[in-house]
Amino acid sequence: MKVNIERSDLLKAMSRAQGVVERRNTIPILANVLIEAEGDSVAFRATDLDIEVVDKTNGMVNQAGATTVGAHTLHEIVRKLPDGSQVELSDDGQSGRLEVKAGRSHFSLATLPKEDFPIMATSEYASNFAVPAPTLRRLFDKAKFAISTEETRYYLNGVYMHSADGPDGKTLRCVATDGHRLAQIDDTLPEGAEELPGVIVPRKTVGELRKLLDDDDVQIAVSVSETKVRFSTPQITLTSKVIDGSFPDYARVIPAGNTKRMEVDAAEFAAAVDRVSTVSSERSRAVKLSLDEDRLILSVNAPDSGAADEELAVAYADEPLEIGFNAKYLLEIASQVDRENAVFMFNTAADPTLMREGSDASATYVVMPMRV
Amino acid sequence: MNVQSPNISRDRRVISQLDEAAVNRIAAGEVVERPASAVKELIENAIDAGASRVEVAYASGGMSFVEVSDDGTGIPTAELPLALSRHATSKIDGSDLLNIHTFGFRGEALPSLGSVARLSIETRFWEEDTGAAYSVEGSVATGPKPCSRVRGTKVRVADIFYATPARLKFLKSERAEAKAISDVVKRLAMASPKVAFCLTDRTDGARKLLDVPVETGALPVALAARLGRILGREFTQNAIWIDAERDGLQLYGMAGLPTYSKGAAVAQYLFVNGRPVKDRMLTGALRAAYMDVMSRDRHPVAALFVECAPELVDVNVHPAKSEVRFRDAGVARGLIVSGLRHALADAGHRSSTTISGATLGAFEPERPQAPVYQMETRRVPAGHTAPMPGFAEASMLSGRVEARSADEGSYEPEEGLSPSTLPLGAARAQLHENYIIAQTTDGMVIVDQHAAHERLVYETLKTRMAENGVAAQVLLIPEIIDVTQEQIAALEAIAEDLARLGIDLERFGGNAVCVRSTPAILGEVDAQAMIADILDELEAEGASVGVEARINAILSRVSCHGSIRSGRRMTADEMNALLRQMEDNPMSGQCNHGRPTYVSLKLADIEKLFGRT
Ligand SMILES: Nc1ncnc2c1ncn2[C@@H]1O[C@H](COP(=O)(O)OP(=O)(O)OP(=O)(O)O)[C@@H](O)[C@H]1O
Ligand SMILES: [Mg+2]
Repeated sequence: MKVNIERSDLLKAMSRAQGVVERRNTIPILANVLIEAEGDSVAFRATDLDIEVVDKTNGMVNQAGATTVGAHTLHEIVRKLPDGSQVELSDDGQSGRLEVKAGRSHFSLATLPKEDFPIMATSEYASNFAVPAPTLRRLFDKAKFAISTEETRYYLNGVYMHSADGPDGKTLRCVATDGHRLAQIDDTLPEGAEELPGVIVPRKTVGELRKLLDDDDVQIAVSVSETKVRFSTPQITLTSKVIDGSFPDYARVIPAGNTKRMEVDAAEFAAAVDRVSTVSSERSRAVKLSLDEDRLILSVNAPDSGAADEELAVAYADEPLEIGFNAKYLLEIASQVDRENAVFMFNTAADPTLMREGSDASATYVVMPMRV
Repeated sequence: MNVQSPNISRDRRVISQLDEAAVNRIAAGEVVERPASAVKELIENAIDAGASRVEVAYASGGMSFVEVSDDGTGIPTAELPLALSRHATSKIDGSDLLNIHTFGFRGEALPSLGSVARLSIETRFWEEDTGAAYSVEGSVATGPKPCSRVRGTKVRVADIFYATPARLKFLKSERAEAKAISDVVKRLAMASPKVAFCLTDRTDGARKLLDVPVETGALPVALAARLGRILGREFTQNAIWIDAERDGLQLYGMAGLPTYSKGAAVAQYLFVNGRPVKDRMLTGALRAAYMDVMSRDRHPVAALFVECAPELVDVNVHPAKSEVRFRDAGVARGLIVSGLRHALADAGHRSSTTISGATLGAFEPERPQAPVYQMETRRVPAGHTAPMPGFAEASMLSGRVEARSADEGSYEPEEGLSPSTLPLGAARAQLHENYIIAQTTDGMVIVDQHAAHERLVYETLKTRMAENGVAAQVLLIPEIIDVTQEQIAALEAIAEDLARLGIDLERFGGNAVCVRSTPAILGEVDAQAMIADILDELEAEGASVGVEARINAILSRVSCHGSIRSGRRMTADEMNALLRQMEDNPMSGQCNHGRPTYVSLKLADIEKLFGRT
């Protein structure tokens, strides 16, 4: 194998590859990236057995072939090469080395046989459809803060992607929850997604997917089966197993009968929450919301270090209410609001609270109160 | 149909009453497990008979024989055959099994021993003129015939389990059996300071293993002396006297300082009404009492005695009488936990003397390998990669001690800061940016600033939490957890405590509970596992400290971050302020992991170093 690649192309491909490769590996081959040169492109393939990413980059292939080499080392090398350099990768197929040349630098890296590299089995996809990158970006970005990190509840360790009945017809919906808060984000169901089976996309996959979504003009091809999900652009294919478990019946816990409505500027609200919670040094800082007509008082009382309160002008016309929340949770949901005001719907101090972005019903957030 | 199951044996016997020897052997299995159980029964009989000296001897781990002689009342010649028949006792009349003041009450020990070993008794009843000998082998009794014993009773149990070779196989090595015997003798000797004990191994020749005289003085004095003789002076010097009472239960004894601990729960001696017991509830309470001042892998050392009216405790729940059942286990547990915690809080300022002993040892040049019991080899403070320098080199290395005393004036006690009034004295210097040296009236104190401050921060956080309760995070999806009926009842019984810790739960149908909230400080928790842990603890120890321990562990981590690091220079004012806070805080003698936060050296000890005594 002998190929020449632009350093910037190689860097992009390698940074995607090393994102998938686990830092610590007990199976040596999994620390490697599989490089396959054929025609006029070079494919870089990396896997952790649950996720596989294949990145096809343009390159001048002088001699077709394939080999595997340590992903982190190659990535580091390419990162440190000067911008604009041409990188030559060559492997004589016998010495067990990959020669990396760029300008006057030369590296000789140990390889492992390409035959040992595990290739993820292909799947029969039940549903294939295309979504513009910005749409997918919104669906996952707004949901992912609520993903659970508690490993025993593995079925919450991802984003539940499925089709659902929204207020204006069928939607493509992403939901995440950690049992303390929940995010439910909708978009119109794309053509071809009617048969979409509900899948839980693991947290790590969500992170890797994000790297495919930066370009606004790209259409992402999505394929879903009961066990796998695949996202691809013309250049990159990300395939991942989905979490084998059933996502809880979240619709039940989204309150429908909350009547006390508060509307507040999201940025102002977040800034105020952040300010008052400074006085508490506890890990779970509790902020109390006291609502009265068109007035919200945020307060924190940390008996040892002090107390703080701040008054905000809000739109509120219901009976007075006092309710406590974890400051971090409030900050995280408030930061999901981009343009509109945040609209909170309360019931009692012990019931779930709902939050929406203005009148937009396509994003719903639920947060549970704290009893102090 | 007459198809026979292949498991049915053809030679089934007709039902018949087992003969007495067989019955006795079966019963004996419950009372006599090993030579040590024989020793236990015999010593108890001796003490019941009012003995003031008990001599125990054995050979080959007791497998060849054990022998116990006493100077008690003796057994009337005429009663000897009766003493060896089952359910014959002189100690209770059978009318009130709840009111037992003696070790024995079943009339089971001697007949049991007689059925598994060759048993011989020599005794002289105090009102009779001659002694009597009596022996049993199998079901054949010999005697009583006259013998020359002057006083008391001697019982010899030889060739234990000779009749039941299967049981012999269950015995451990001679050494293990010998250890079990000495353990039994020690435990019983601890409980009876007014009786002299002597233990001899006669395997070859005679090796005296224990010889303790009758202790004099009032109970606390006598008991402390006895504990010192058996557990070692080091224990009594590093232990505090416990004396507490609650609802008719009395607790006394000695408990080791948290800084004097063991790696396993091997030195925990618990007694109920003078009876040595091994009881999960009581050991659990002991652990809970130390929870805060000892890391989970260390174990307290203690000899604790619970006394109460016999009707408040049932001793007849275990064939070897090693378990007891309190009528109100909660009271017993509460007594131990709060009694110990209070005493430990009062003693918070007594770090173990073995530490200063070890420190002194480390100072002494001619004893470089002095025994170090507790001092952990501390990591070298940041900035010093070389091994910790000795004292002499220290000032040369950092040079800062002198420099500072030069420009800030030496650390003379400030006005009103006379060492005489202050237990931890006045700060004189800081070494290696981590150790505060303070002068007290009769010596000096070395404080580990990080450990001490960490403890203070932890105590504040805990007090704050106790005052305000633990904030609860309500769950979006309540967790439904399958449990049994009894478990639901157990959880409901402590529902209030759980709520205080942020856990709200309620019954959910017949076989499940529904958890509605968890402690906010724990973040996202696996409620299922948490409830399972609580239930395990409830079952094992009658109470649950797990959630509290987890919360405390987090507080402890938080306090570690919030406290003065090693390597921070402190001004004299800061150091004195820290010393004063430590004095105000009863628990500041140990860090959260049970290590000492300071050691003190008496002037006398320092003088010893220079040969000035
Ligand atoms: N060392 C002794 N000195 C005086 N009397 C004794 C001695 N050992 C046994 N006896 C008498 O023999 C009786 C039977 O003893 P044994 O140990 O079998 O039963 P117990 O002590 O009454 O009850 P337990 O089975 O609970 O020990 C006792 O009740 C006591 O009267
Ligand atoms: Mg007895």
